[in-house]
Amino acid sequence: MAQIPSLDHAPINLSALREQAQKELIQILSSVRGKKVLVLDPKLSGPLALVAQPSLLKENGVENLYHLSADPVASECKNVIYLMRPRMGLMKLISSQIQQDNIQKLQKNYTVVFLPRRTIICEKVLEEEGILGSVTILEYPLYLIPFDEDVLSLELDMAFKETKVDGDLSALWYLGRAITLLQAQFGVIPNIKGKGKAAVQVADILNRMQREQMPDANAAVVTPEIDTMILIDRQVDLVTPMCWQLTYEGLIDEFLTISNGAVELDPTIMGIAQSGVKKAKVPLNSSDKLYRELRDLNFGVVGQVLRNKATSMKQDYNDVTGGGPQHQSVSELKDFVKKLNALPELTRHTNIAQHLSTFTTKSKFLTRLSIEQTLVEGLSYDISFEFVEEMIHRQEPITSVLRLLVLLSLTSGGLQKKHFDYLRREVLHTYGFEHMFTLSNLEKAGLLKKQEAKSSWQNIKRGFRLVVEDQDDANPTDVSYVYSGYAPLSIRLVQHALKGGWKAVDEVFKLLPGQSFDRKQGSQADQSVLSRDGSAREGSVTADSAPAVDGRRAVVLVVFIGGVTYAEISALRFLGAQEGMKYDFVIATTKLINGTSLLKSMVEES
Amino acid sequence: VFLRESWSCAQSIVVRQGSALQGPRVKLIEQAADLYAQTKDYSFEAKAAEEHAKLLKVQQDLEAATGQPIFVDSSVSDTIRTCITLGNHRAAQRIRTDFKVSDKRFYWLKIFALAMTKNWDALEKF
Repeated sequence: MAQIPSLDHAPINLSALREQAQKELIQILSSVRGKKVLVLDPKLSGPLALVAQPSLLKENGVENLYHLSADPVASECKNVIYLMRPRMGLMKLISSQIQQDNIQKLQKNYTVVFLPRRTIICEKVLEEEGILGSVTILEYPLYLIPFDEDVLSLELDMAFKETKVDGDLSALWYLGRAITLLQAQFGVIPNIKGKGKAAVQVADILNRMQREQMPDANAAVVTPEIDTMILIDRQVDLVTPMCWQLTYEGLIDEFLTISNGAVELDPTIMGIAQSGVKKAKVPLNSSDKLYRELRDLNFGVVGQVLRNKATSMKQDYNDVTGGGPQHQSVSELKDFVKKLNALPELTRHTNIAQHLSTFTTKSKFLTRLSIEQTLVEGLSYDISFEFVEEMIHRQEPITSVLRLLVLLSLTSGGLQKKHFDYLRREVLHTYGFEHMFTLSNLEKAGLLKKQEAKSSWQNIKRGFRLVVEDQDDANPTDVSYVYSGYAPLSIRLVQHALKGGWKAVDEVFKLLPGQSFDRKQGSQADQSVLSRDGSAREGSVTADSAPAVDGRRAVVLVVFIGGVTYAEISALRFLGAQEGMKYDFVIATTKLINGTSLLKSMVEES
Repeated sequence: VFLRESWSCAQSIVVRQGSALQGPRVKLIEQAADLYAQTKDYSFEAKAAEEHAKLLKVQQDLEAATGQPIFVDSSVSDTIRTCITLGNHRAAQRIRTDFKVSDKRFYWLKIFALAMTKNWDALEKF
């Protein structure tokens, strides 16, 4: 099965985006003549696999693929292409490889390809190592990578930490560039709304880029395919990623980790009891029809759906065998065989679901879940505090502990002073003093703090109706089903943004960090309008944009700056599938995350 | 203030990496602790750095005594656990008082350690 997701049903033409990326890759590869080896930044091989199949690389003269490591490339090949993110550590590795070759007097051609673009600092490193003269430098401007029909990601795993802790805004610049490229392809997006500091920053970057390239009238000619863009800074809603995702896809990610649109599974899970078999990679995207049906459901329902499928198949089988051949028309048989084709998918997901339920039925999971839910409701600070304390004492994995600790801090407006110091000390004692940096990172990012004022969480919760009681997970009427009762704040923001702007919730809106804005940029409008819009930040809430005239639903691009969880994606899909919804959603983000991976980026590597 | 903090941070990072020479490492961490202590805002950090230096010293002594390089770079809790696992209860008690480890945490550690070494008798008595 192809790992590359099919993009045929995407609301906007994402295939074009991928084709463009492939074309550029081929261009780079063919710029180096003859056979070559490709050395990859280990973090890039996954995303690259979503853009180009191995065969495409082979067709263009790539003999072998390597991951960049401290060991030299063991190949006779004369041409070496390094495909890298612009990071200094990687530059050092490249340098040492080339220097080793030089010592052995090997004559090779080196090309360093930066993704998405070269940076001065990296060239400086190469220069200092004395190899800048012997390498050719190219850029591969790959920004947004299509993960599915409605999901695009930059795959910058450190984006949140870099912007919020280190003050390094390059991720925002990349995002701005990515959106600019999107606009070049799909037309200038008329409505832009945003919330949070990073959202404002990205919008400003966009504005600037727009002005710089205005002479290029090309973009203005294209009729806009995307009606509205909503920028959301992850910092505005940090509570959501800290909760356990309870959708099928979300749980797979929590327990088995989805990376680059696929999950690696132990063969025993899949019911193949062979030893020595490598982990099987199972692609998870909309090309798998059954998965498409299951992924966004609350996990509690998945088992039931699978059972129904299996029973109906058995029924069909009985019909076929029981009825005797004389009663069968060929077309009936054909239908049955067609259904049988879905059998491998059914087996696969039954296996996965069964494996997941070994986790979800454990009392540990259930207790934790109920703690999470009381926290979100803003109740019982003390019980949760004791729970976290015990987790530390049991030396549970640090990310798991921090996740709950952060949730506690976020929902109670910080930890009480005595607890703040006490818990920090317990963490250091238990996990080592090097986590002082982790703790200070968390504080800088606003994930952990000392209680100063009364918590505003209660008001936020009420204002946005975040906790919904009596939700039937099987027949949900509200997005809160993805967390079994908690509606993600980020999604509520999107809902409000589409429902006549953000004025309605002004009061509670101010409780959330960062500015909000609502601006227009015209495709027909000329430059003067644009710059006026740029200065007229805040306010000027316009009437809800009219849905597309030709009966098609308007496309809304929701951009999560700093990462998005699978459950949030599910929630948006759910919204899009509601009756009377005028919009199709496309999601773009810096990285697909969950609470654990977000916190991992905070734990400094030594 | 910020400069000072980042400087001491940077120093301790250097310190963490240069693990071979333990002597200078402890000194550098102590220096960092002093730097933190110069401002009021970082009293927590100052104390933590102080304890870190203390812990490293204890761990070095333990390694010298047991001849096993298994202590340095583990946390306070891990050190206590290792001590109990090795049957060195006195050292464990000492660390417990030195670092003011709460009873709750200490008992958890003890139970884990005893269970791991299958020391059921001691677990029973405890």
